[in-house]
Amino acid sequence: MPNYEIMFILNPTTVEEEVDKINGQIEGVVTAGGGKVGKIEKMGKRRLAYLVKKFREGSYVLFTIEGDGAIVREVERRLRVMDQVIKYLTVRMDEDMKRLDKIKAHRDKRAVRRGRSRAEGGGDRRSHGQADQMAEE
Amino acid sequence: MAMQKQYYRRKKVCKFCVERIDNINYKDVKLLSQFVPERAKIMPRRISGVCTPHQRLLSAAIKKARSIALLPFATE
Repeated sequence: MPNYEIMFILNPTTVEEEVDKINGQIEGVVTAGGGKVGKIEKMGKRRLAYLVKKFREGSYVLFTIEGDGAIVREVERRLRVMDQVIKYLTVRMDEDMKRLDKIKAHRDKRAVRRGRSRAEGGGDRRSHGQADQMAEE
Repeated sequence: MAMQKQYYRRKKVCKFCVERIDNINYKDVKLLSQFVPERAKIMPRRISGVCTPHQRLLSAAIKKARSIALLPFATE
């Protein structure tokens, strides 16, 4: 199932208990729809880069969830109707993660190969490249 | 003169390639803000030296950050 990050901004006057209540509600929506909540991160109050509903700052909350599009749709609908929520954004993460893992795996593999060739005492491609760079400068 | 100048021009390198930053995330305001100058526009590749694949990821991340008010669309 895909992973999503849902970030939303609450009215800065929202009290702590209310933030927790909203988080609880969202969590309920996700689990009711058959999804999983990865983590809930209260990022605290931050200055907004521009005015949003005439607010200059807001408290950010970040959810990482696992679930399908229907859950996201329902969560977004809930966020829209909540008065305290002034902005929200959902980003799909799993495809990015896959890309990152691939890059990392590739890099690790190369590091191993490089280490081995150095041990054998030859054919180190990187030192070669560095020499070239120095010549350029 | 002109030759001299050309000689000293340093070749720009992509920050993301050099520092091996793979993860260009919209939440990383500190990183992204290096690529949005005063007017809050996205810095072009010809100035920043970022390579094409990374510039693509970077601009997508900046746009996401803008829509959640982490970065400005324009200066006030």
